[in-house]
Amino acid sequence: MPVRSPFESSIAKPGQGKVVLSLLPPANPSLSTLTYKYPLKLLTRTPGFVPQSASPSASQPVHLYLLTYGGGLLPGDQIDVSITLEPRTRLVVTTPQGSTKIFKTETSPGRTLSDQSRQTLDVRIGQEAALCYLPDPSAPFKDSRYEQIQTFTVDNIAKGSCRSSLCVLDWVTQGRSSRGENWDFNLWKGKNEIWLLDEPTSSENNEKKEKKKLLLRDSLILNDETSASPQAGNNPPRSLIRERTSPHGVIGTLILYGPVFEKLSSFFVEKFTSLPRIGARNWSSSAPAAAEAPQNYDSRVTFTAAHVRAGCVLVKFGAADFETAKDWLGGILREEGSIAREFGEEALLCL
Amino acid sequence: MTADHETYSLQKEVLDLEVRLQNAKARLGQVSTPHSEPEPPLPSDIPFITTSHALLLLSDSALPLGSFAYSSGLESYVAHNKPLPLTTTPVASFHRFLRLSLASMGSLSLPYVLAAYRDPTDLETLDNDLDASTPCPVAQRASIAQGRALLGVWERAFRSTYAPRSGDYVVTDPREQSGIKAVADFSEALKCSMDDVLGAKGHFAPLWGAVCLAMGLDARQTAYVFMINHAKAVLSAAVRASVMGPYQAQSVLASKDLQDMITERIDRDWHTSVEDAGQVVPPLDLWVGRHELLYSRIFNS
Repeated sequence: MPVRSPFESSIAKPGQGKVVLSLLPPANPSLSTLTYKYPLKLLTRTPGFVPQSASPSASQPVHLYLLTYGGGLLPGDQIDVSITLEPRTRLVVTTPQGSTKIFKTETSPGRTLSDQSRQTLDVRIGQEAALCYLPDPSAPFKDSRYEQIQTFTVDNIAKGSCRSSLCVLDWVTQGRSSRGENWDFNLWKGKNEIWLLDEPTSSENNEKKEKKKLLLRDSLILNDETSASPQAGNNPPRSLIRERTSPHGVIGTLILYGPVFEKLSSFFVEKFTSLPRIGARNWSSSAPAAAEAPQNYDSRVTFTAAHVRAGCVLVKFGAADFETAKDWLGGILREEGSIAREFGEEALLCL
Repeated sequence: MTADHETYSLQKEVLDLEVRLQNAKARLGQVSTPHSEPEPPLPSDIPFITTSHALLLLSDSALPLGSFAYSSGLESYVAHNKPLPLTTTPVASFHRFLRLSLASMGSLSLPYVLAAYRDPTDLETLDNDLDASTPCPVAQRASIAQGRALLGVWERAFRSTYAPRSGDYVVTDPREQSGIKAVADFSEALKCSMDDVLGAKGHFAPLWGAVCLAMGLDARQTAYVFMINHAKAVLSAAVRASVMGPYQAQSVLASKDLQDMITERIDRDWHTSVEDAGQVVPPLDLWVGRHELLYSRIFNS
């Protein structure tokens, strides 16, 4: 029987990463686990930012940078990150390499599903802990295939201000617009789920017994529906995804949950409900026939924001291009100020 | 030249003979006794009649679900795409919407219909998961209102026939029994969770699957009627929103294109699990969500 090396990594598969953030007394955030394997790279930093928060339990946020070699994913690459936030910790996750590039999948006859790139993120957030995940968008290149599943599990026992908090941004662009790409990929699937867990997050190994309830599922499937057809000879129309996303060049979702983001949630909902009515007219005879709305970001970005379930706020937006969406979102988050106050200006790195 | 003329005269003669033959046949029919050609016997295929009857009830546009109050985003779509570019006609723009709407219905709701039909025991989880997957209050309200209406129609009207408490007719099919029980259990859960924000809601898609099961429809019919009812609701909204006229709407409804489109969507999502159900038309969420922003509205969604 071979002797196992004591230095052997506990992570067996390439692309896997594991992070556990705990709080040492009195209030020192510390990474009790941090492992990763090629092509994934995880870097962390504690900037020493003290949250100017009303909540007395707020601890210093730790930054986690998600990196991949080459700044993108090749066909067959699988990234699998699991993060645990123990109670009262705060984590900021960003992607400092710019948009996640999804490279082309070769169209050979023997193509299998494993040729697509895949990314899973599984985050468990304890009581009073908060996650701020504002990454760059995903940029699927022509002919690429990609799937991502992001699961966030929050503690359902805690109520009121002891609840977990999370802010998750997920957006996808039309590809390399400078090269004329306009939703030319084969498949992009993105799923975000929030689960309510009725047992303490510390019980890790008996996952079968845990009682979970789905709080939110936001699933987007952009599929050109060509792979299913057996006749590879005739070229099917490649404009299906474009037709379904038109007139937008970038599509995104922002999910807000928990006490830390309560103000930001209300701010978004308020902004949405106070938008000018569509098709409104000024009926007074002296006014010009059609009152033109001033051109600002709110009119260039089509968005909705609404309370969906149990205090969850879902913001969905679409814009003509990445820059417009980025300026709009960054503008709102900076104007409201919660993120900068609670996590520091650096959390808005990607915006 | 002569050959052409000859063909023409021969064709004329054939036509003339055909007309004479028909006339002779008609006269023979009048003079001969009516029993000379017996009518085919009345078909007595009872199970076929029963399922067709249920099918006709559920596909009836007079089924009181209140579907006429919802345009499924059409009204908002029209407002968001105004004015149309000169190259696009309103009807072409509507066809695009119908295509997108059916695709979205197939990918997002149809898996829940089929899941509830195939295993109705966990209707409550399906209801919760669909509620969690519905991104905006406008769509949630529309789905819940129609789902509860369907539950009401089942309990007040259909149940006495399809699941009688007493009488000669007893439901023997175990699948139908499971559907009936699931709807009854769900209705009970719905009454108990009126004030629970995360309790049972009564979404339309899973209830449709369970009610169709209880009434003995097969899976294919359940899916097809679900999709065509959606198409009917959108087309009816289009008529009332002055996008097209009623005859034009009926011709779209009857068209081979629509039939093919529905079949294609059902085939594509026949095996999609509810975990993989998702939105394929992201702007649709925006249009439906922004329905609340319209200055004037004639629909609830």
